[in-house]
Amino acid sequence: MMRLVGAALVAAGTAWLGFRAAAALGCRVRALEVMVQGLALLEQELELDGPPLPELMERLARSGRGPAQALFRDCRQALDRLEEEPFPQAWHRLVRARDELGRAGQETLMPLGDTLGRCGCEDQRKAAACVRLRLTELARQAEEERRRQSKVYQVLGLAGGAFLVILLL
Amino acid sequence: MDREQSIREYVQAAGALPQRLRQEALMLPREDQCRAEEFRLRAGRPMSVVLPEGERVLSRGPVHSRELEQLVEIASRASLHAVLDQVRRGYLTMAGGHRVGLCGTVSLREGEIHSLSRYSSADVRIARQVKGAADPVRDALCPGGRLTSTLILAPPGMGKTTLLRDLIRQVSDGVGCRPLRVSLADERGEVAALYGGVPQLEVGGRTDVVEGCPKAQGLMLLLRAMNPQVLAADEITAPEDVAALRTAAGCGVTLLATAHGESRADLERRSLYRPLLEEHIVQRLVRIRGTGGQRIYTVEELGV
Repeated sequence: MMRLVGAALVAAGTAWLGFRAAAALGCRVRALEVMVQGLALLEQELELDGPPLPELMERLARSGRGPAQALFRDCRQALDRLEEEPFPQAWHRLVRARDELGRAGQETLMPLGDTLGRCGCEDQRKAAACVRLRLTELARQAEEERRRQSKVYQVLGLAGGAFLVILLL
Repeated sequence: MDREQSIREYVQAAGALPQRLRQEALMLPREDQCRAEEFRLRAGRPMSVVLPEGERVLSRGPVHSRELEQLVEIASRASLHAVLDQVRRGYLTMAGGHRVGLCGTVSLREGEIHSLSRYSSADVRIARQVKGAADPVRDALCPGGRLTSTLILAPPGMGKTTLLRDLIRQVSDGVGCRPLRVSLADERGEVAALYGGVPQLEVGGRTDVVEGCPKAQGLMLLLRAMNPQVLAADEITAPEDVAALRTAAGCGVTLLATAHGESRADLERRSLYRPLLEEHIVQRLVRIRGTGGQRIYTVEELGV
């Protein structure tokens, strides 16, 4: 009886690991997609009336979701401490803190901090559009990877569990 | 002026400075803080503060170019795009009406200043409102309780803008006279210092302000759009400004303006201002002179 329970637990554990790895791939896709939507909103706001950065970040934090909302909210707070940390530096730090975007997503977003608020609205909008396109491509690649790999991780988890159960029994 | 208020204004203006410079600015004794007029920052030189007796070095180390960039970032709240027009004119207005003047490398596009970058020096002028500055002249300018068209005449630095601002405030709020709707063409934002659409310096509850556009155009815009009873403008310097004032006077609007000069004879000599006198467009002339640190106001009645 104990062996059966142990085997079931091992099988469940490995299956969970496989499903978790697959879910992480899905999370990254969603984070990138949400960031793409956030940047699209940013472009719209810049095109509409190009408000000062604190107001812009506030609006985006209100209408954004997930990591985009968190990033814009944290940027808004950083704008109250400009004497301690210039905005580009704060942007780099806050983007690096968004692990869900993955290294490539972070690297893509970083340069936007050097443009936001520092040149005309049109130039900022173009820079945001450029970053959005690259993130869209990253999201597409991540989705492809998710489709390809998530099944593999799930099957590996289940198969690994089954293999261990056979060994243990 | 209230000492504590002056210190608050100093501290608020010092808020535009990067952390190191701000700390050094705040170490200035309080009795000097309330007299300070501006901070001066020049790349490679220590920061100094301008006091009535002259400039005094404040910081130990030299100002770095990145600190000048940070100053602009703080003053613009990292939103250069929202103040680009001001920066192209060499300044930007901060919350509280303080004003950052900038020097650096200009880039031109089609003969116009397109941008100002690689800042070489900056000054932060501390906005000081002197409420009651117009008290000594108000009664003479408001016979029967109603403002008459007035020109304030003084050399630079004698407080023309301060007097104009306080006159606008008093007339607009009806302090010691009949309250009137005032429209102000504040080309360089020095009178009302709009920030986010809100005047940072008190110009009265019945005052409408247009900022950033040439005075003549601003005056005509206000005349058409705001139905003013009083039109005000600082520093009349161009024939178009005078033409706009003549048009406004023709519409029955009371005028309030300032000009550089020392005496009525000075005005009569200059063809620019002659029509204002000859056509009796202004009825009162306020001259400001300085003697021993005191300002002396003389109100002259011009013939009608």
